[in-house]
Amino acid sequence: MERMPSWIRQHVAGLRAVLVLTVVTGVIYPLVATGVAQTLFNDRANGSLIEKNGTVVGSALLGQSFTDADGNPNRTYFQSRPSAAGDGYDPMSTSASNLGPEDVIDTLPVPGAEDEGRQSLLTQVCARSKAVGELEGVSGARPYCTPDGVGAVLKVFPDRAVSVNQACPATPFIASYQGLKVECAQPGEDYAAGRTVPVRGSAGTPAVPADAVTASGSGLDPHISVAYAELQAPRVARERGMPVEQVRALIGEHTTGRALGYMGEPVVNVLELNLALDES
Amino acid sequence: MSTQVLEAPSPKKNGPVSGGLLDPKQMIRSLPDALRKLNPVTLWRNPVMFIVEIGAVFTTVLAIVDPSLFAWAIVVWLWLTVIFANLAEAVAEGRGKAQAATLRAAKRDTTARRLTRRAPDEWEVVGATELRQDDVVVVEAGEVIPGDGDVIEGIASVDESAITGESAPVIRESGGDRSAVTGGTKVLSDRIVVKITQKPGESFVDRMIALVEGANRQKTPNEIALNILLAALTIIFLIATATMQPLAIYSKSINPGVPDSLALTADGVTGIVMVSLIVCLIPTTIGALLSAIGIAGMDRLVQRNVLAMSGRAVEAAGDVSTLLLDKTGTITLGNRQAAEFVPVDGITEAELAEAAQVSSLADETPEGRSIVVFAKERYGLREREIHGAEWVPFTAQTRMSGVNLGGREVRKGAATAVMKWVRDAGGHPTDEIGHIVDGVSASGGTPLVVAEKGRVLGVIHLKDVVKQGMRERFDEMRRMGIRTVMITGDNPLTAKAIADEAGVDDFLAEATPEDKLALIRKEQEGGRLVAMTGDGTNDAPALAQSDVGVAMNTGTSAAKEAGNMVDLDSNPTKLIEIVEIGKQLLITRGALTTFSIANDIAKYFAIIPAMFAAVYPGLDALNIMRLSSPQSAILSAVIFNALIIVALIPLALRGVRYRPSSASKLLSRNLYVYGLGGIVAPFAGIKIIDIVIQFLPGMS
Amino acid sequence: MSSTLAGILFIASLLLALALCYKPLGDYMYRVYTGTRHLAVERVIYRLVGVKPDSEQSWGVYARSVLAFSALSLLFLYALQRLQSHLFLSLGMAPVEPALAWNTAVSFVTNTNWQAYSGESTMGHVVQTAGLAVQNFVSAAVGVAVAIALVRGFARKKSDTLGNFWVDLVRGTLRILLPIAFVAAVLLVAGGAIQTFADHSAWTTLTGGEQTFTPAAAASQEAIKDLGTNGGGIFNANSAHPFENPTSWTNLLEIFLLTVIASCMPRTFGRMVGDNRQGYAIVSVMAIIAIISMVVTNWSELSANGTVPQAIGQAMEGRESRFGVSNSGLFATATTLTSTGAVDSFHDSYTAVGGGMLIFNMLLGEVAPGGVGSGLYGMLVLAVITVFVAGLMVGRTPEYLGKKIGAREIKLASAYFLVMPVLVLVGTGLAMATSNGRTAMLNSGPHGLSEVLYAYTSASNNNGSAFAGLSVNTPFFNTTLGLCMLFGRFVPIVLVLALAGSLAGQGPVPASAGTLPTYRPQFVGMLVGVTVILVALTFLPALALGPLAEGLL
Repeated sequence: MERMPSWIRQHVAGLRAVLVLTVVTGVIYPLVATGVAQTLFNDRANGSLIEKNGTVVGSALLGQSFTDADGNPNRTYFQSRPSAAGDGYDPMSTSASNLGPEDVIDTLPVPGAEDEGRQSLLTQVCARSKAVGELEGVSGARPYCTPDGVGAVLKVFPDRAVSVNQACPATPFIASYQGLKVECAQPGEDYAAGRTVPVRGSAGTPAVPADAVTASGSGLDPHISVAYAELQAPRVARERGMPVEQVRALIGEHTTGRALGYMGEPVVNVLELNLALDES
Repeated sequence: MSTQVLEAPSPKKNGPVSGGLLDPKQMIRSLPDALRKLNPVTLWRNPVMFIVEIGAVFTTVLAIVDPSLFAWAIVVWLWLTVIFANLAEAVAEGRGKAQAATLRAAKRDTTARRLTRRAPDEWEVVGATELRQDDVVVVEAGEVIPGDGDVIEGIASVDESAITGESAPVIRESGGDRSAVTGGTKVLSDRIVVKITQKPGESFVDRMIALVEGANRQKTPNEIALNILLAALTIIFLIATATMQPLAIYSKSINPGVPDSLALTADGVTGIVMVSLIVCLIPTTIGALLSAIGIAGMDRLVQRNVLAMSGRAVEAAGDVSTLLLDKTGTITLGNRQAAEFVPVDGITEAELAEAAQVSSLADETPEGRSIVVFAKERYGLREREIHGAEWVPFTAQTRMSGVNLGGREVRKGAATAVMKWVRDAGGHPTDEIGHIVDGVSASGGTPLVVAEKGRVLGVIHLKDVVKQGMRERFDEMRRMGIRTVMITGDNPLTAKAIADEAGVDDFLAEATPEDKLALIRKEQEGGRLVAMTGDGTNDAPALAQSDVGVAMNTGTSAAKEAGNMVDLDSNPTKLIEIVEIGKQLLITRGALTTFSIANDIAKYFAIIPAMFAAVYPGLDALNIMRLSSPQSAILSAVIFNALIIVALIPLALRGVRYRPSSASKLLSRNLYVYGLGGIVAPFAGIKIIDIVIQFLPGMS
Repeated sequence: MSSTLAGILFIASLLLALALCYKPLGDYMYRVYTGTRHLAVERVIYRLVGVKPDSEQSWGVYARSVLAFSALSLLFLYALQRLQSHLFLSLGMAPVEPALAWNTAVSFVTNTNWQAYSGESTMGHVVQTAGLAVQNFVSAAVGVAVAIALVRGFARKKSDTLGNFWVDLVRGTLRILLPIAFVAAVLLVAGGAIQTFADHSAWTTLTGGEQTFTPAAAASQEAIKDLGTNGGGIFNANSAHPFENPTSWTNLLEIFLLTVIASCMPRTFGRMVGDNRQGYAIVSVMAIIAIISMVVTNWSELSANGTVPQAIGQAMEGRESRFGVSNSGLFATATTLTSTGAVDSFHDSYTAVGGGMLIFNMLLGEVAPGGVGSGLYGMLVLAVITVFVAGLMVGRTPEYLGKKIGAREIKLASAYFLVMPVLVLVGTGLAMATSNGRTAMLNSGPHGLSEVLYAYTSASNNNGSAFAGLSVNTPFFNTTLGLCMLFGRFVPIVLVLALAGSLAGQGPVPASAGTLPTYRPQFVGMLVGVTVILVALTFLPALALGPLAEGLL
């Protein structure tokens, strides 16, 4: 060691340091932590799994889709939030949508073409709102949404305006804009040159809560807001033939308030609530 | 020969440092120089302005290829920006040039009578420039001294006005601390023999010319550091604007419906606008004025008749934390004055006063004069013409002086000498006189014993008189964080009394040159910077060791060589002003740098919306000045950027006002004026320019 | 309790917790790095590594040690990923692709932890714990070591040396990071984070779907990932994943972890230079910038600016319902103000101004409070530049903490200050000038530009968070972002150490009434101003065409 040139000596020391510290922080530390965790909090360390009739049906921390094979909501269950994880609540592919606040223009699918087009975040929100509204029997209207559940966005040209998210032959959500006639959009046509004008419309505070129309960060959000649970209660009660008060009581039981009264938001664990419904 | 340049601003005593006046004519006179400086080879030394010049050339080409009123307006103002920057430097240099011309005139055509070594008093005539070190020359009344040197023989009155601007002649004599003479000064009377101490071409006048011209000005350490920071900022802004181009092209392409504008096309931001943005962002204000600030700083010293041998010393002056001041001449008036007559028992004060006056009538020393005056003022004793008196002058052996008037013999002098004289004459001085003498000494005064043949009359109390306003000055220094140390040869008791009266922080009594040197070393070890003045050869080591060593022009060549500044007025109080000038130089740099950077904010608010509001109409919200059109917004920013240079030339030359106070207060004030002012001023300035130019053709 | 009040209390409790730790943790770190005693286990490590713990290193040797250690870490981590299929506990994962393995190795060694991979489907247990998590520890310890070396530069007088890198590395890992991480890991498990080396398992959901359990030593890795301001998650969803961050209080714990060391470093700095007021001044600057940033982001998010957030009524896209908008905003602010890059919500879906603020946080150089170590040295370099300009305005050649800021110091500080903007702007410009930028964007318009700007900002500042819509797993991005991470980490480190060496060699200049006091509110205000204004001036054109254009549509 002493006879080596100093730069080699340093690299030898560097390599040894990497190995030694790997043993300390990469082997000993996680093993000890695991030992303590498994001893003290065995259930949680292993994923807070929930069993139904002796079979694991999920984790209290992972959300699930309560839909049938075609993706239609199972009307006897409370529904989770939309998810961007894989095809929905896939723990092997956790993800958010990553769509931005001004993602408002769809790429409309051209009939017959391979490309399926792309829904903007705004249209996704509008479509979800409309669907939830229909499912729960309330209005799905939102600001910047058309009645047919897409983003209410115009591309304004000097001589005309186009409702870009409404593929022809749809009827544009407004007939004219500042004296210009509003047309429906021809899929495949390039409207880039127009000025983008989202139209707020007259919708007031939406009946469908925010979490019902947005994807979570993880795509695995196990919770929904209390408001969304309350919105679903009458439907679930009806489908299950239960008194709605009983359903509401179950919501209350499975609501987690803010930690210490101020951290986070009050939420309802959907899987636990649905299990409780099945058991009652 | 004219000395008007030198005489103009006389140093103000005890006032805050102020600068010279700026004459608008000076700007016009310097214009040709400013144009000459457009030469890229010289401009290269100033990277910030060099980039502006490249931009100006580039836009000129663009304007020729694709002419428009807007393009040409930008081109003109970009060139003006460079010219204004050059003008600042030219004006600063111009002041020195006039002075250098005067000095050169003094130097030219001088001949010397050089003594040959072959025989005594044999000399040959040679040109002044041919003189070598250790040559010996003879100079007589009416002749100009051909080079720097020391008087080795004779005494003469010399007119040094060519250098000091002071018209009163000074005495130069061999030996002692008044032996140095400067080339280019004129002997008015008598004859002296001078040994040349300079090397050819390195005379005091040569150096002075170089200094005031600023031709070979070396950048000072802090200036170099600041230049590095400015270069870094310039690079950052160059990259920020260059990399904006692909972003701009993208932004334009995703808005295909927006027509091309004067600022933004499908190929990105247009060349003219791009260059305008770069020029507005890079620190042109400080870049343009930085070298003028440095030159002007040296110039301010010159105006106070101080020559700094290096810019480094001027910067160091700002950092000085310990000031060594000689007591005599700096803190106290040069000489002691009679303050009291203390008679022994049996003698009245009036009797003592009369004897003291009589003994001093012929005494032309300042102390002697003060005794006469004091006796007259206090006791109404008038000066008399006394005939038949025999004056006994002071000698180093007798250590007393006096008068023999008929049978009456009066002496005054050092206690031991006078007592001995009294005893020799058979007198028996009592112990009382010893007590009086000790008392006077203890209070910091100097006792002179007055006696007549055989009996002691009393004691004259000579006192050091502290100059007026010194205490306030030292208080000021303390607030600036500078420690003052008084250096004196007096005994500690005397020194302490004077130190207390003057209000200095510390004193060094019975100081030898070695003590002085040791003190400086000790201070420097603690990281402090030390400034001092000195004139004698024995001061030379201390002058060399100190960070700012100011040699008196009256001093020896050795002292002048050792120090890094020379005070032509030989006024030790000048040290305080030198410190202030050093600080002012640094403050001016910092203030204008801050101002320059702060300016950028407003320029962004003018140019960003002008460039991009077409594609993103929302960005017009940034147009908070509500400038009338993109063209006028960009042009206004460029014009403001150019005009602010001219507007700040006087400030750069004069320096930021400096009031001695704590660092915190100074910073607050300067931040307020130059930081906040730097943010606000361009908003107002650009808006006003916009209001004016919006009516020009091509602006909408 | 109203949401607003709850949000404010959440922020307040974080600030309170940090304030309570400031002295004890700062003092503890001071003792760790100035103490002369070695623990028995440390002696064993030094013997194994083959270094003499009591020898001192010059700045050059210190820097070479940092580089040598980092280079070997890089190779080791690369090899581990490439050999994954041969390792036990690999969960059947294939070897990581070369480009991705390289990018990931660079990213973890530089404390960036940019996640170009998806953890649950790419990395097995061994690569996670013995590879990635190890770098979480040591890259953090390297950062602190460099910061401590710089502080020694200020504190030492006429010294040629800056300490011993190996000692600083080992002590930082063993005495600071390990104990805190261990306690935090246990707390996270208590909250529900998983900690198991089991194999995959699957179940059938209530409605008949299939779900797979993704086992991991999540808690132990999450703890150091936050504490070391690393940010590379075990899962793709990072700290939004319920197994990494199960509850609202673990969310606060994680925010606390990722800010705590950097927030307490100024105390250590103050102690080492012998003037605690200097530490308070630096931490005040950090706090002011952090609070302003927090307010701006939360204001924009809570008022749901922008078309889609307005349609939704609440900026809930990409947020977990248990955290809500305001707590997520605090996490996002903290992760971008430090060099962490962990996310509990997805920044790409933030409002224009909120997302722009997150970019700005990183562009500040991550100094409020910044990465572990890197935050302090970044802030001190800014202080040097501030002192240089301000110092002139008090009429002295500038000095900071008794050290003169001359040509050499300002050269190094300027170079440091240049590196990051050059990397960010040239990288972004290059991506946008070629087709690479545009094809990788998920979002269109100015938001797409923001995605590219965010990527280069994050990489060059070693943050690691992303506007994750951008598809960066391409040769162009893997290469250029990898270079940004490498240069963005090690060029500044070498410059900081050179600066430290230059400062250590100086004798001190005693302070006087004429010296600029660097502990008063006045200086704090100046430092905030210089930091914010210089960054704003540098990046305004880019920001104007990204977040500002989007926000002011």
